[in-house]
Amino acid sequence: MALSGTALHFSGHQYLRHRLVLSILSGKPVKVDKIRPEDKNPGLRDFEISLLRLLEKVTNGTVIEISYTGTAVLLKPGVISGGPVTHECPLSRSIGYFLEPIIMLAPFAKSPFQLTLRGITTDDRDLSADLIRTVTLPHLQLFGVADGLELRIKKRGSSPGGGGEIQFLCPVVKQVKTLNFVDPGKIKRIRGIAHAVRVSPQFSNRMIDASRSILNRYIPDIYLYSDVYKGADSGHSPGYALSLLAESTTGALHCAEAVSQPGVAPEDIALAATRALLEEIRRGGCVDRKHQSLVLLMMVLGSEDVGRCRMGEPTPRTIQFLRDVREFFGTSFKIVPANPSEPTSGELLFSCYGSGYTNINRSAA
Amino acid sequence: MDERQHKAHRPAQSGAKAEKKSKGKGKEKQKGFNEKAFAPKSGRRAERQGRRNVERDQTRLHVPLVNRTPDETPPPVIVAIVGPPGVGKTTLLKSLVRRYTKQTLSDVKGPVTVVSGKNKRLTFMECNNDLTSMVDIGKIADLVLLMIDGSFGFEMETFEFLNILQSHGFPKVIGVLTHLDLVKKAATLRATKKALKKRFWTEIYQGAKLFYLSGVLNGRYPDTEILNLSRFISVMKFRPLVFRNTHPYLLADRLEDLTPRELIRTSDGKCDRTVTLYGYLRGTNYRLGMAVHVPGVGDLKVKSVEVLGDPCPLPTEESEKRRRLSEKRKLIVHAPMSDVNGVMYDKDAVYINVPGSFTRGNVDVPQGEGEQMVLDLQDAGETLDDAVARSQIRLFGSSSKPITVTPGDDEDEGGSEVEYDDEDGSDEEGSQLDEEDGSEMTDEDEDMQDEAEGQSHDRGRTGPRKGMRMVGSLASASRRNEVEYAESDSDMGEFDEEDGRRVRFGDDEEEADFEEEDDEEGDDEENVPRWKENLSMKAAEAFTSRQNRAKDWMKLIYASSLSPEAILADDSTRDSSNNQDGEDGGDEAFFQVKSKAPAGEAEEDEDRTKERVDEEDLRKWEDDELLESLRRCFITGGSGGDEDTGPAGEGDDGYEDLEGGEFEDLEAPGDGEPEEEDPEAKKAAELAKKKEILKRKFDEQYDDPESSKMDFYEEKKDEIAKQLQVNKEEFADVDAESRALVEGYRPGTYVRLELMDVPSEFVEHFDPYYPIVVGGLLPSEERFGYVQVRIKRHRWYAKTLKTNDPLILSVGWRRFQTVPIYSLDDHSIRMRMLKYTPEHMHCYATFYGPVSAPNTGFCAFNSLSSSAAGFRVSATGVVLDIDRSVKIVKKLKLTGVPYKIFKNTAFVRDMFNSSLEVAKFEGANVKTVSGIRGQIKKALSKPEGAFRATFEDKVLMSDLVFLRAWYSIQPRKFYNPVTSLLLTDKSHWTGMRLTGEVRREQGLHASINADSTYKAIERPARRFNTLRIPRKLQAALPYASKPKLMKPQQKQTYMQKRAVVMEPEEKKAVALLQQIRALRKDQVQRRKEKQHERKEVRRKKAEKEEKGREEKDREKRKEVMRVAGIKSKREAEREEGGGSRKRRKT
Repeated sequence: MALSGTALHFSGHQYLRHRLVLSILSGKPVKVDKIRPEDKNPGLRDFEISLLRLLEKVTNGTVIEISYTGTAVLLKPGVISGGPVTHECPLSRSIGYFLEPIIMLAPFAKSPFQLTLRGITTDDRDLSADLIRTVTLPHLQLFGVADGLELRIKKRGSSPGGGGEIQFLCPVVKQVKTLNFVDPGKIKRIRGIAHAVRVSPQFSNRMIDASRSILNRYIPDIYLYSDVYKGADSGHSPGYALSLLAESTTGALHCAEAVSQPGVAPEDIALAATRALLEEIRRGGCVDRKHQSLVLLMMVLGSEDVGRCRMGEPTPRTIQFLRDVREFFGTSFKIVPANPSEPTSGELLFSCYGSGYTNINRSAA
Repeated sequence: MDERQHKAHRPAQSGAKAEKKSKGKGKEKQKGFNEKAFAPKSGRRAERQGRRNVERDQTRLHVPLVNRTPDETPPPVIVAIVGPPGVGKTTLLKSLVRRYTKQTLSDVKGPVTVVSGKNKRLTFMECNNDLTSMVDIGKIADLVLLMIDGSFGFEMETFEFLNILQSHGFPKVIGVLTHLDLVKKAATLRATKKALKKRFWTEIYQGAKLFYLSGVLNGRYPDTEILNLSRFISVMKFRPLVFRNTHPYLLADRLEDLTPRELIRTSDGKCDRTVTLYGYLRGTNYRLGMAVHVPGVGDLKVKSVEVLGDPCPLPTEESEKRRRLSEKRKLIVHAPMSDVNGVMYDKDAVYINVPGSFTRGNVDVPQGEGEQMVLDLQDAGETLDDAVARSQIRLFGSSSKPITVTPGDDEDEGGSEVEYDDEDGSDEEGSQLDEEDGSEMTDEDEDMQDEAEGQSHDRGRTGPRKGMRMVGSLASASRRNEVEYAESDSDMGEFDEEDGRRVRFGDDEEEADFEEEDDEEGDDEENVPRWKENLSMKAAEAFTSRQNRAKDWMKLIYASSLSPEAILADDSTRDSSNNQDGEDGGDEAFFQVKSKAPAGEAEEDEDRTKERVDEEDLRKWEDDELLESLRRCFITGGSGGDEDTGPAGEGDDGYEDLEGGEFEDLEAPGDGEPEEEDPEAKKAAELAKKKEILKRKFDEQYDDPESSKMDFYEEKKDEIAKQLQVNKEEFADVDAESRALVEGYRPGTYVRLELMDVPSEFVEHFDPYYPIVVGGLLPSEERFGYVQVRIKRHRWYAKTLKTNDPLILSVGWRRFQTVPIYSLDDHSIRMRMLKYTPEHMHCYATFYGPVSAPNTGFCAFNSLSSSAAGFRVSATGVVLDIDRSVKIVKKLKLTGVPYKIFKNTAFVRDMFNSSLEVAKFEGANVKTVSGIRGQIKKALSKPEGAFRATFEDKVLMSDLVFLRAWYSIQPRKFYNPVTSLLLTDKSHWTGMRLTGEVRREQGLHASINADSTYKAIERPARRFNTLRIPRKLQAALPYASKPKLMKPQQKQTYMQKRAVVMEPEEKKAVALLQQIRALRKDQVQRRKEKQHERKEVRRKKAEKEEKGREEKDREKRKEVMRVAGIKSKREAEREEGGGSRKRRKT
């Protein structure tokens, strides 16, 4: 078996998701240990176990070994098979937690993904189903993953009760396109979705009004939709949220979101979301902060050409992701200020030489 | 008629007529073809002609492919010289090398690289007649000179090689016919040439280039013919091949064993070796950490890659000015293994040949490369001791004192040298070490160091330098967790570590400052209102610091081991300290308390995509001015700003626009004025640029509306060209080291690959005649799995291929033996196993082995040995699918017998052994031999394994009941790389053999299974009892159904009792008829006899002819045997050293 026996070694529970994703994509086994060894409740959490199970479901031949204490996990990746898969997500994390790694894997599967996930659709930690639908998937489209890419929100489910359901459809590609995205453009439109489940539908209107009070000064092209799910489609718990996205003339997307908290008025939620969006816009770049690692990954997986993308300052996750990418793929990025004449702006130009990754899982016949 | 000679015609040399003629000739020539001749006569014809033209144009187009070899320094083109032994490969190679370099090689081993033109180099490689070599060469050759013995014709190896080429992407092939001087008759020569050309064209393509080399002069082919061949080689254009355009590879031209001698000695030469291979990189960029496969050795890990100076460089700028390649450049030949210029590189030594006596004095004798090397060695000015004494090796990049061996006793002032290591940077001796040092430092450190050097270049300072190194700037520094090393040892005492936290140098005010910031970081979690108080201050600080310098993100991310949070958090503190540093002159040390890692709380730092929303942070957006400042990011905002600065840049502009408050004083005073007038000029320039673009666009469209819109093909080509341009420019300004980090080593560079854990046999049994190819593996290709391929047995391969027989495959870089299972798609329902490959048809094969990308071609062999009879390429195909499991089934029939039959129900036994098995098959369809269908219902309790089944009709007790099922099978996990390069005798690799082959070798018979032997089948005649119908029943039956019980007639009939007496006429008539019959009989008899006689004669004649033919046959056989005898005799002679040829006739 020559070289495949050597596993990459990581410690700590942080960044587990993207390490697993990189392992599956690169085919290199990964061993993660020291997972919360000092914690009162050591080892993997239920959502992490559930994620591992999900990865096992969508792949063929994956071997996952979890140590007796649960503080170490070894993943020997198999082939991404895709196809129809259904998964129940635990209520400790939202669907976004599970969907984000799947989105990174899905274009490289053997057959198109038809993934159904059930659980919480919106929470304050991971991307909500709305944002994934309106922002993450357009980011994939930059790389030529377009036809048949779809996310359907069948039911909404707020935490803690959950009860939501989404369906994720993703086509397979042979190779992703090389990205050359250096012009952030100017923001031409703002869209938003305010949804309220198991509360008064008036809440979403209140959020929209509050948000508009800030955004109206910038551009007239603002549409904030009020999305109401009723009855069984609205999950088990009450909740509401506002997700906003700003699109620029060149297609750069920035997004922000705020989720209902107990004892906070919907107006405040809307203001928080709006301000977060403005903060996001101020940071600049062509790619939203939450999607930096997705875009960087797809750049690495591109053909053996130079891909370039302008981004704001990297997040800690992104920095760790860049390091891990180098471990797995040997690809480093060239990171320089976007405009050298103006070092003040925090914008950076990420460029890398794609690794020439092709989807070998896809059959030729 | 008289035989008088006519006067020959003399054309006019001058005058009107001559002029007219010459003019006419010239005119005709200039005109070209007659346009009218091709003008269509009718509209329909015109339409058809137009359509045909368009179609022809389309056929000319090829799928645009990206060519990834760099334009400026492409790697040498690999020209492989392939052919049967004795065809003249070495002679051709020598002739070509002589043509390019004016040197004659005595013994050609390994690749030979020469410069062939201003922008072109060639690597010649001779391919021996071994199949493994042919496979390897076929994978890397850009151009193949396929040599064919004109006096003999094509040989089997040639066809095998062509088939190998075909399955690994077809490189360009030029045929070279040799030994044409052996064909004496001109007519035969012409016919031979024609026949060979025809065959060659059918193999390659119609019109493929075929060269004829006549004879050998002075051990070389005629110069003019070689010149022509070289011209053809030089104009050859290469289309990138898909596999080579996605993989880096290298043809090693030199091998060196780096294993410590001692280790080899102690392990008795059996230890794994560290080997370096030298060669030009080809294909795509070689990335760091990429695994490689060396065909014939296996998968290996590359320890390091080192870019070396080009041993065979292309002509440079000054020679470029001249039209022709300068003579000096021409003479370079790089062939490390084949004794050029008196130097030969072996695996463990360098041999230098010296003509005559070798002394230092005689400068007049031209020195070869090797002699120069020896002389240079002799020129070494100093001893090792000196070098060590002067060395500036430091334990850490930051420690000020180098390790000294004998301080003070040197001629250079040891003491001061030791103390001011920074000055050493300017010293020649220390420069190398300092360079290494510098690579670890961040550039601000370097800046500062430069500054310091600038200040104190007088070498007069005596005090020790205080620390100026920032924590977090050095990879080595941050790796240590607890102890902070001082720049010099004397510094160590000056500060102490307080309760385990790390400390930094700094003066007191700085310390306070940083403590404050430290608190601030804590506040991030706790939301202490104090944070809010100096919010604006913070922003201002951040602004200034950011304005002053940008971070080197690459170094922070890739070269330091700081945690991501630290990298981000470090921003303001580090930078401001830096500013202070600059003011203080960089000589002050100051303390700074290093914040604890923010990953303190386990619950907080969970894996979340959305960052925690900081309410306080968002509150600043209540500020109207800040909101206003963002307006520029929107299309409705002022369009005055330059287009190319992003929103953030504009956001910063927004800061500048702010009139009120604290932001004003942050502006550098000098910056204000130019900024004011800048926008005007900028705007104007911007506008002009825009106008320019618009104008160009308009012009283009106005002049030629067709040209502005490109067709698909043009568009694609343009896209590719643009991307290549971006590729070229993006990293052009990056230094070599980080460039290698980012994009890897580019093709065309001459590198040294250090390979780890190479089997010792590779070095021990190294043979330069066998090519060493290093192929880069993509990450996915290191994996193993089940590979499904589409395969077709080669029609020239004599046998069919059998499932589970070992097969040697050559896929990607690898060649390995594996055990495939053949299958066919059965109505898209199942993959059904085939025992044998079908004739003239593709089928699927599934085997376990290393993964390679779908659409990769492969070829298969059953045996690699040259003694194998017939064509050796047994199958070819393409990879279809990769998976970790397979779904191949084979048919399984279970049989049972009914032991009790009701109407449509029967009890069946002997199909299963237990009721559990029956339960598994409940509801399954069964069938009897006679075709009655049924279904399994339920297990019966009594005889174990029996069941109740229902049928569509009543079954017979004598019927068999079948159950047709499918049994899934897995290919055996057998993977055996063909490690031919590890053998002493590289052409005799044997892998797993068939049982039959092993038995044959050991002289064993196949064991006989007693059950399988044939025995006489005894089938007792079936006896049926007579049908007895009770009398009562008989009486009740209708007449038609009644048994007819009648005896044969006993009495004679009326006619039998009567005698017949004939009338006389009647008698006569009968007699006459009898006579006629007798005559006829006689006639027939005689005719038969005659015929027999004739046949006899004929038979005798045929016999005679047969005899003659047999005689001829015997003679022929005798002749063949005689030739074979001579052949074998020659073979034996050759083995003893003779030069006879071995041939396998096509």
